[in-house]
Amino acid sequence: MSIFSIGVSGLNASQKALYTTGNNINNVYTPGYNREIPILGEAKAGGVRVYDIQRQFNHFVATQLNASSGKFSALQAYQTQVHQVDSLLADQEAGLAPLMQSFFSSVEDLVGNPSDPAARQGVLGTANTLTAQFRSFDDYLNDMQQGINGQVRDEIVQINNLAEQVANLNREIGLARAKTGIAPNSLLNQRDQLVADLSARADVKLNIQDGDVYHLSIGNGQPLVAGTHTYKLEAMRSAGDPARMVVGYNDSAGNLIELKDHTFKQGTLGGLLSFRSETLDKTQNQLGQLAVSFAVSFNEQHKQGLDLNGAVGQDFFAIGEPRVYSNSNNSSGVEFAAAFDVDQIDQLKAASYDIHYTGGQMQVTQRDTGVAVVADYDPAAGTLSFAGLKLTLTGTPAEGEQFHLNPLQRAASEFDSKIQDAAQIAAANNDADAGTGDNRNAIALQNLQSKQVVGGHATLSQAYGALVSDVGNRTNVVNVNLTAQQGLNEQLRGLQQSESGVNLDEEAANLLRYQQYYQANARVIEVGGTIIDVLLGLRT
Amino acid sequence: MRISTLTIFERNTSSLNRQQSDFLKVGQQFATGKRVINPSDDPQAASRAVGVGQAKAITQQYMDARITARNALAQEESVLNSISDAVISAKTLLVQGANGTLSDADRSSVAAELKSIYETLYGQANVTDGNGRYLFAGYQDNSAPFIKDAAGKVSYVGGNTAREQRVDASRLMPVADNGNTVFRSVHSSAGYIAEAAADNAGTLTFSGPLVLNSSDANYGASFTLSFTENADGSYSYSTDGGASLLTYEPGQPIEFAGLSLTLEGIPADGDSIQLGTAQNMNPDLFASLEKAIAVLDTAVAGDPKQQAQLDNTLKTVMRELDNSLDNVLTVRASVGARLNELDVIDTVAGNRMLNYEQTLSDLLDLDYVQAAAEYSLRMVGLQAAQKSFVDIQGMTLFNYLN
Repeated sequence: MSIFSIGVSGLNASQKALYTTGNNINNVYTPGYNREIPILGEAKAGGVRVYDIQRQFNHFVATQLNASSGKFSALQAYQTQVHQVDSLLADQEAGLAPLMQSFFSSVEDLVGNPSDPAARQGVLGTANTLTAQFRSFDDYLNDMQQGINGQVRDEIVQINNLAEQVANLNREIGLARAKTGIAPNSLLNQRDQLVADLSARADVKLNIQDGDVYHLSIGNGQPLVAGTHTYKLEAMRSAGDPARMVVGYNDSAGNLIELKDHTFKQGTLGGLLSFRSETLDKTQNQLGQLAVSFAVSFNEQHKQGLDLNGAVGQDFFAIGEPRVYSNSNNSSGVEFAAAFDVDQIDQLKAASYDIHYTGGQMQVTQRDTGVAVVADYDPAAGTLSFAGLKLTLTGTPAEGEQFHLNPLQRAASEFDSKIQDAAQIAAANNDADAGTGDNRNAIALQNLQSKQVVGGHATLSQAYGALVSDVGNRTNVVNVNLTAQQGLNEQLRGLQQSESGVNLDEEAANLLRYQQYYQANARVIEVGGTIIDVLLGLRT
Repeated sequence: MRISTLTIFERNTSSLNRQQSDFLKVGQQFATGKRVINPSDDPQAASRAVGVGQAKAITQQYMDARITARNALAQEESVLNSISDAVISAKTLLVQGANGTLSDADRSSVAAELKSIYETLYGQANVTDGNGRYLFAGYQDNSAPFIKDAAGKVSYVGGNTAREQRVDASRLMPVADNGNTVFRSVHSSAGYIAEAAADNAGTLTFSGPLVLNSSDANYGASFTLSFTENADGSYSYSTDGGASLLTYEPGQPIEFAGLSLTLEGIPADGDSIQLGTAQNMNPDLFASLEKAIAVLDTAVAGDPKQQAQLDNTLKTVMRELDNSLDNVLTVRASVGARLNELDVIDTVAGNRMLNYEQTLSDLLDLDYVQAAAEYSLRMVGLQAAQKSFVDIQGMTLFNYLN
């Protein structure tokens, strides 16, 4: 081994080292880039050899970081959404509480002057304002539902794209390895970055096979990427509620399977779906429960009275009826019709239900808790009643069929005052003493504000307070969790970066080092030349 | 630990973000004067504020109710004042009318004066509030509660109830009294009244009844003293419908059921005198006045029978008016008591309202001193973060490589 060869090997090595340093400096801010270091070693026959340009990547730390950023982006998505509900309830002046108060205050005016047209008109006016605000709250929440439907669709498109790219990279990396025995670091970096991106969108599990092929699974372990093949997700309408977009999975047999919302916990998608089932549905249900309890109890009392024309009071408020959906997989065509059970309205819960017909029985489960509900099913009459609801069905369903009941989902959207003529307000009691000056029913109506009409255990304002407290607490919890997760995420990111990140000062030092290394090796060659020259000079 | 350049940058920016959002939050609190802007700022306080706000709103409702109630009761009180004045004037006139020296013409002019008081009372009974609603009509407040028939007799067609209003959480207060209560009632404790039958043909007059023993077993029951002429020209009377007959002696007090009634004059066969507690006799002020006016307007012309009628009726009416006056004064006292009660409730509710406002402010409002301190702290924090960002970003080995 000549001194020249040794010098050249050093020059090569130092060039590669300088190239590596340069590359590190170039990519200091490139997402997904992992710092590279040249692995130097002695050549067999002397000299130096660059064994590898090794990328500093730690699967263990990367997996931890991906899990953490999945949680982080779930919480971020959740927070963005819940913050909107939180802000909706923040308005102290235009919130529902002050409007309910001004409505009852106008009922008080009616008590004071039961036949005064101005007092009567006042009740109609505040009723209109109140119901309009209920509707606008509900619209807002419904817009959020629509927004989430759209976002679920977008997320699914993104996840499909990312999955496709991972499959492509699996192929390219395989090809490169087959060709040269090693895979280019840039491709590996890209693939790991894609996995990180996917983790930020949904719960994705990574499984590395044969040391270099990435397999990804989603949900309950359904494969998303299997080597070079991808399985597509698809946004689909839920079988139980056509208004709701859920994640559908195209399995290898070509079936589109609905994945349950609760299988997704992490990533933006998980955050959106958790928000929808934990907070948005609940808030809508609570608002609906408040509206229904308000409307039904007021209507029932109003119908006890006599109006200014001596006629029996009518419904004061209109309210949206409960919605029942037959599961789209049902075949019998049996449909339910649902109504609020006005006599049992204090049993009404802020909940949705799933009904399963099996063995001649109707099994009713509360959707958010999964708890079975005792229901009164009369097959002969075709009625099913529970929790302040009364359902009638046409015919007998087929075994195993499912029905989905959202009693309160849109109740508030149709909350409106029915009475337009102020004389039709029934302020008088329905008995022989009734007259224009009779305010007994108005007093009873006024008393409703202090009665526990919501779920049998809360007044209207208490129920609203509970709604505010629920949303506030949930937002608070999410904020706190998000801050904690952000701290954890930053820490893990620091850990990941401490191994894989580029430090410019370090690279500056390396530049100096490798520059000197290069110069020294050049000197070796120069010295070699001098030696040859000396040897050649011996003959002269 | 190795720190990457990206980490330095990320840590710096995230610290800047955090400081900035904290700083903004305090700024927002300053701008609104509220500590709790969104429910999430303090969920417990936000939901308690809903509860306190509701309590405050209800308190305000009751305050409004009390204003309406006070207005109605004050109006009623002033009307009751003029009613009691009118009844007192009527009594004075009756005393005048009972004066034995008056001529028929004199009595007619007394009757005319009484008639005008009667009309005044009739007007007061049908008085309306500012909205044209009849004050004493109960729930039937859109039509006059007292009407006159063709013969000029007043009768009551109003409701038998009184409108109530909730003036406090646990107080449903009557804010009116109906015509029955004011004009057609006497206190349950009002004593006995005697009234000679309108078709008595003799010269029988009575004085009394006096109460001797109110714990007598028969005390409180109504009686009819009916007279029958005996074969010998003397008279017997019975208090039990003729089952037992007693001899009538003029000027001797008749005692039964704890009562004593002194009778003068000679009855005719079939004459009678009704006795009963005021409640069971005629409690109607208008009917009393109608009787008095009728009898004062009737010429006695020296007829002892007519004179007896006049004396008897005026005695009866006098007692009835006493009872009516007592009744009006009792109603007026109850109105006054209700007005007082409203004042008491107002004081208590005023304190309660202050408490609610204080609680609401404690729950939601900003403590400016604390916030000002927080504001300075956040500002220093943000400035420090900015300074350290610039310093750290400026420090690099490349500065020394030339």
